[in-house]
Parts: sequence; C-alpha cells; structure tokens
Amino acid sequence: MKNIVLTGIGGQGTVLAAKVLAQAAQNRGWQVRTAETIGMAQRGGSVVSHVRMGDRGERVHAPLVSNAQADALIAFEPGEGARMECLLAPDGVLVSASCVVQPVTASLSKSVYAADPVLAALRAREGRTVIVDEVPILAEAGSSKVLNMALLAAAVETGALGITLDELKDAVRACVKPRFVDMNIAAIDMAVASMA
Amino acid sequence: MVKKLLMGNEAFACAALEAGVGVAAGYPGTPSSEVIETIAARVADGSATGVHVEWSTNEKAALEVLAGASYAGARTLFTCKQVGLNVASDALMSLNYVGIEGGCVLFVADDPGPISSQTEQDTRRFAAFAKVPVFDPADIEQGMEMMRAAYDLSERYRTPVIVRPTTRVCHSSTFVEVEEGTAGIRARGFEKDDSRWVIFPARSHRGHLEVNERLAWIEAEFSGARAQAIDGVVAESLAASGFSFENGHPRTRLDAAKLLPAAAADLGLWRANGAKATNGMLAGAGDGPRACAKDADACERGSLACAKEDAACADAAATASAACADDAGAAVSSRASVLPPCDLSRFNPIEQGGRADRSPRLGIVCGGVSTAYAREALCRLAEQAREQGECLPAYRFMQVGTPFPFPMARADEFACGLDRIIVFEELDSVIEDELVRLMGMRAAAGADVASVRGRRALAAAAGELSVDGVLDVLERDFLEEALRDQGCSDEERAARLAAFDARRSEEARKRAGRTLQVALPARPPVLCAGCPHRGAFYAAKRALKKLRVRGVLSGDIGCYTLGNAAPLDAVDTCLCMGAGITMAQGLGVVEPDVRQLAFVGDSTFFASGLTGVANAAYNGHDITICVLDNSTTAMTGGQPHPGTGRTLMGAQAEGLSIESALTALGVTCIEHANPHHLEESVDAVMRAVEYRGVSAVVFRAPCVDLVKSAVPASIDADRCTGCKKCITSIGCPAIGFDGSVATLDEALCIGCGLCAAVCPFGVIEAPASAREEQR
Repeated sequence: MKNIVLTGIGGQGTVLAAKVLAQAAQNRGWQVRTAETIGMAQRGGSVVSHVRMGDRGERVHAPLVSNAQADALIAFEPGEGARMECLLAPDGVLVSASCVVQPVTASLSKSVYAADPVLAALRAREGRTVIVDEVPILAEAGSSKVLNMALLAAAVETGALGITLDELKDAVRACVKPRFVDMNIAAIDMAVASMA
Repeated sequence: MVKKLLMGNEAFACAALEAGVGVAAGYPGTPSSEVIETIAARVADGSATGVHVEWSTNEKAALEVLAGASYAGARTLFTCKQVGLNVASDALMSLNYVGIEGGCVLFVADDPGPISSQTEQDTRRFAAFAKVPVFDPADIEQGMEMMRAAYDLSERYRTPVIVRPTTRVCHSSTFVEVEEGTAGIRARGFEKDDSRWVIFPARSHRGHLEVNERLAWIEAEFSGARAQAIDGVVAESLAASGFSFENGHPRTRLDAAKLLPAAAADLGLWRANGAKATNGMLAGAGDGPRACAKDADACERGSLACAKEDAACADAAATASAACADDAGAAVSSRASVLPPCDLSRFNPIEQGGRADRSPRLGIVCGGVSTAYAREALCRLAEQAREQGECLPAYRFMQVGTPFPFPMARADEFACGLDRIIVFEELDSVIEDELVRLMGMRAAAGADVASVRGRRALAAAAGELSVDGVLDVLERDFLEEALRDQGCSDEERAARLAAFDARRSEEARKRAGRTLQVALPARPPVLCAGCPHRGAFYAAKRALKKLRVRGVLSGDIGCYTLGNAAPLDAVDTCLCMGAGITMAQGLGVVEPDVRQLAFVGDSTFFASGLTGVANAAYNGHDITICVLDNSTTAMTGGQPHPGTGRTLMGAQAEGLSIESALTALGVTCIEHANPHHLEESVDAVMRAVEYRGVSAVVFRAPCVDLVKSAVPASIDADRCTGCKKCITSIGCPAIGFDGSVATLDEALCIGCGLCAAVCPFGVIEAPASAREEQR
C-alpha cells in the first residue's frame, strides 16, 4: 500500500494534485481511493487530501491514511506540513514548499509567524525532508497555480510515490485542461531541475 | 460503460440516473451538495435525458415536489444533509403513511465529527423514528449498489427509502464504471384515488398498519429470509407481530404478484448472467461468506471489487500458513456477489476469519464507513500475525448495511455461539442497541448470550472513528482471544493484558514525544479576502458604537457564521436555518432596551427566513434584519437560489426580489448599502436601528467567487505606523504583519477598499476602481 498525504490551505490546489496521483495509480492498474476536505474548512483553513494506492494489487478499504502510515507527505505550506507530520511514517519522505502563509490568527497575535523555525523543525525530523524553493518556479511559470505540480514532481523524484516522472506527466495530461498542460509540464521539469 | 474517478456523491448521482430517476430535487448542504450538481451537469451536457432537476427553496419544498412527482409515477431523488431532513420531516412522516408510486429515494448525508454541520444527529435513528427503511454504505461501490436496490425496494413496497452515507464516503473518490448516457423512466401520470392519496385519520390508521407490515417483510428480506433461516429466537417475536411464512416466503395480505415485478426482473437478469438459480426467491443467508471464490462467474455482474477480491483471495491463500483458512484480506473481503441482486441480505454480509480450526468466540459488527476501517485494521493485524508466523484467533464479522429495519434474524444467526461482540459505528449506538435488544430476546428464550461493547463503552461517544481507533480496540481483544486459545488461566491472562496495556501507553508516550517541536498558529476557516460580509459586520458594529446603544447580533447558517471569529466577533447567536430573525424577536421581548440585529444570507432568507419576517411584522417586534445578499449560496459551493433567477434546467429569469418580499411581509423601513463602502453602510444600519419596528438593511455585493479579482490595494510600508488597526478591526486574510508593518498578499486581495477606509493614517490606498465606486 502506498499512502500519500497532501496538505495546505484551501485553494492551493491539493485536490487536483490528488486527482493526478489517482490517475497515475489507475494507469498502473492499482486500486486507489482519495479523500478530500470539502466545505467549511475550504475557506482559508487547513485542508488535507489523502491518496491510498494498492501498489501490490491489494484492495484499498479506508479512504483516510492512518497515523504514522504515510509514505510521503507533500506540504503546500510548511506549517501545514508540520501540523500533519503525525501522519507520516518515521522513515517517510516529507516534501514541503518553503513559503509560509500568514493566517489572520497569526497577524492578530503578538508573535510573528516566520518560515525559518518551521523549516528547521521539518529538516530535523528522522526521515528524509526535501524543501522545494517554489519562488523561482512560480515566477518563471507566471502563475502560483503550478505549485501543486512542482511539489508532485519533487515528491516523485524522491522515489517515495512508486511512480515515475513520465507516468506523472501522462496523468497530468489526462487530468488538466489542454491549454494548461504545457505550463504544468514545464513546472514539473523546473522542479526536477532544481533538485539536481 | 466508462470508468471514471468519481467522488462518492458523483457516483451516487450516476447510480440514481441509471436507475431511471425522472425528478431530482434538494437543498445544498455539505456533504450532500454534489449529487444534485452532478445530475444538473449531466442534464446540461445532454448525457442525462428525461430528467427534471432543481435546487428547491428548502428541503421541505424539495420533498413535497418529489412526493407529487412520485404519486404521478416518476422515480424521484431527494438530497440533503442530515439537518436538512429536520426541515423536510413534516412531509416525510406523512408521506410514509400515504406511500408512493414511483420509486422515492432520500439521499441524506450524515456528518460525523461534525466537520461542516450544526449537529451529529444520526439519520439511521431518524429512519427508525419515521419508520422508513435505510441503507448505510461502507464505500462508494456499495453505495452505488444500494442506490439501485433502494429504488427497487421503494417501488416493491411503495415506501420511501433513505440512503445515508457519511462524509468520508460522500467525499472520497475512486474509479467506478458508469453509463455514458441515461434516460429517466417515463412516468404514467397521476391516477386519482381518494382512498390512497388523501391523508385522514382513518387513512392514517390503515397506513400505519401497512407501514408495520411492510417493515416486517423488509426486515425479513434484509435478513435473507427463508423460513428455515428464521427458526431461532427471533422467529417467535416475528410471529408475535403477525409475521409468518408460506413456502419459504414471507406471507402477507398484500398481493405478491403486484409487489414483486422489479425483483423478478432483477432475478431473471441475474440468472441470465449465468449465476446458479437458487432455491426459491431468495438465496440462503448462509451462502454468503465463501461464495466469492467458489463462483467466479457470478462476479461478472458484481463489481470491480469482486474481481479484486478474487485476486486477494488467491494471494492470501498462497501466503497464509495452512492453519489459517482465510486471512482478513480474503475472508473479510465483502460482497457475496453470488447472491441474487434482489437479495438484500448481501448488504449485511457475515464472514469468518482467523484460525480455521476453532469456532469463533469474538464477533465484530460494523456500520457504514467503520466497516472499511475495520477491514483495514483486520488486514493489518493479520499481516502482523503472519510476520510472526502466527494466525489471528478465530472471529466472525458482520456489516449491518441496512440498520433499519434491523436485520434481527441475520444478527441472531451471527451471534450464535459468540461470547462477546464489539460494535464499530459512528454517531449513535444504533447497532449496539439493537444487539443488546437481541441479547435480551435470547436471554428470555434461554439461548446463550454474548456481551456487547460498542459506541457507549469503547470511546468518547462523539466524533469520527478511524482505522487507528479500531486497531487499538481489536489488537487487545485478539490478544485476549489468543491467550484463551493457549489455555491461559484467568490470572495469567489478566497479567499479560496488563503488561500489554503498559507497553501500549509507553508507546503512546514515545509517539507524543516524537512530534515536531514547533509553535504553529491555528488556521481556522475565515471569511475570504474581499468577502462582502466583512464590511457588513464591521459597519453594524460601528453603527451600534456611534449610536451608543447595546446590541445583540444574531447570526445564521452560511459563510457569514464565520463572522463570529476575531477580530470581527460579530455573531452572538447561531442556531439553525432562518433562526436568527426569529431569535432576535425573543431576545428583544426579554430585553427591550437592547437593539436586535439579525443577519441572514440571501439563500437562507428564501429557504427559512420568510416566516420569521412575517412573525416580526405581525407581532410587532422591534428588530433590524440585515440581509447579506451576495447573489449565491456561497458556503456550499455557489448554488443558485430563488433570488438569482437561474435554474438548474438552464432557465434564466429575473430573480425574486428580496425587497419586494420584505415589503409584502410588512417591512416598511428598508435600507440599502454596498458593504464594501464603510460610511454608506454605517449610515444605513444607523437609520434602520433607530427605526422602531421591523426594519431591514439589504447589503448587496457579489461573493468573491463570482467576481474576477481587480487591482489590489497597496500599503505604503514607509509610512505604516504598525498600529495594526486594519488587522484588529476587519481581519482580512490578505493583510499580514511582519513584526513592524502591515503587509499585503496581492494574490489574495481583490481591491475592495475596505481596509483603506479603516486605516487611521491613510497609509493604505484603495485601487482607483474602488475609489471611483465609492463616489
């Protein structure tokens, strides 16, 4: 079983990313279940998408990933990654964006919510952590919408998802509107290049 | 057929269309909204024909529209969230007595947690209260099967039927096969019959008898009843209620030939597909568990699930040690697809797992998504055991997929010979209570009795279950079973279990210590950047301050409930749909000197607000109604409503006017304001609040989801004093604070200009467009 968790803030694109992974799993002939946060939490709150793939041909029963069972955690915002780290297996791979997003609660409080301490905590964990510098990729793509593809590409590169880059791109072509395919594929390539 | 990645709700919509639904209606509510949206999308793109679909004004309106359509012979689908059924309950209670003609299925989505709801009420209980049969799916695939079975059951017994999935089933996705095109079944039209369609006390008395009789039949069907299968304790109680069998079939006063055509057709199809003809109408309840591997050709009609299960069966058989006949992955694989499709006991499968050389003492019973959690937990425990060259102790497993009427005979069969039963279910202890009732009947009859542990005993009786939660319980119970199998003495067993508990709490302590040590801000849902509700709430508070009066701000259900969060802190009450307007009247009666403001969204205004307005005008209450008109039903994803004039059938008329409705209901003081314009809004609220009697302010600006983001505002960082007034007054998520000055997230900002009106130092500049508008 491959368990993947994607987390971020409502509107960042975790749902599409989960769909792409589900498509890649289906293309491999694996059974797959995903689960989404829909409703109230979408309004700027924390959101989590679960993707469970039967990579050994097994049946997937539950749609949610259990505590400490995720092979990979993909964080669209570092703080949200830290919040959901409990789902990640100790030897699981964490892939995180580098920029924090200020919630109103932080602006109202006396302390400042900064990226560095969060990123340091993520790096200090037992398993492998990959921090993606998304700023140049998003700038080059001219859209913050490609954050999900950049992070997926980085996660695929770690080998933790059990799919290849070509399979990821095929799934993107199947799931994304034709006019956005090139932009997303380019973001995947940029993310891979940035890891080299 | 085409295979697609579908969310549960999308899949259920497709299943209903495939069942020939001709009329679908509902009111939006998480986690149910996507069903109607999917049907509307398929009607719009032409893949579903012969279907009328609508967002009704509220749930009661929806169910009444469907009752009429069903009387006229159409297959109908009602959708709502759990609390929506409260609104439709008046119609449902009577409809069940009257009965239906065209299949009438109520899709009611429950929300354990709750994740997006006011209550954790359990629709299985509601079904029992209303005496309406209910299906409870474990996953999407089973939910689709249940949806089809529900229409069949509904027409055979002329009863409304509820299908109630929960959030995790509704909002999970998987690949399923659906028809590319569907057509609604043509209805034959309404046939007048006063003895049937007009509810009167005498008709109700007869209706109640009919309801009770059909429930006894349905209970027998849910149990996979053949006469010989119900020869235990339960048979006596069934007999006491007038239930009996004839040639192996439940006997009834109703004409069976009239009642069963759909089932007969289904059975014919099943036979044509090569499955073995069974003895009589219904297959035996006991055929289920191991049938899957034995009768592969029957799987054809089953689902993807079954093919996978065969693979899993073979896999498990190859790897398992000889002592384990079946391991969780195989034995606990569900669907006994060899049963004919009209055999509803397939939704209450009984399976055996663990050591094959012992008879099980431990029983596990699940409902809904907890079934999936338990199967998962059992797979993991079986794997753990296998790694140690062992096998799980013997156990028996049952899913209750039809919680009402409870399949008592089936449960009786399940419980035979068991010492104890563990129940996993969310929300209420519905299954647990029924099993306790069963044990009472068994005890009274002198049969052996098992202990029953469920929602009441296992965990906090609120919130969701999880695989981890189930695993925790089962791990300990299996250890206890294994110790018994080894013939341990009571003392030894107690000592080993105590050691297990100590080890587990130590592990939990270690896990807690392993969590990342970093402070994180809470990230609750908030009103979007540029949300017009923010300006309305802020203006209301400013107006009360300027008037130097005390006020209570009653809120309602929708995005604007989020106005209760800091810093707006502008929602003092929230009860249920439409309650704000009426609660304000009660608050005002008790404290006449306190100004009463009631906030209501445009969709909620039409759904449940109108009666409250009429009440205020009629009884002379002094309140101010603030209608937040953002031209959509925003919280649930932007559905149209009477005020928008747009329908799901593609019509675009002029929307109903909120002002005209207010006027017609006796409101004479009606103010208007654009909530993005602070001064204008404050003035409007002040005028309305000063008016004695019922007054209203209509705040009108579209939801940010409906507008393209314009030029953002700008903050002059050099001149910003860092006073945080913008943050502490309106709390827009586009404005942050870097420790010394306010910062702007240009990607979020839509340039509404409210922050510029709030800044005391003129440091924030609204975009030209917003300034223009203000003038």
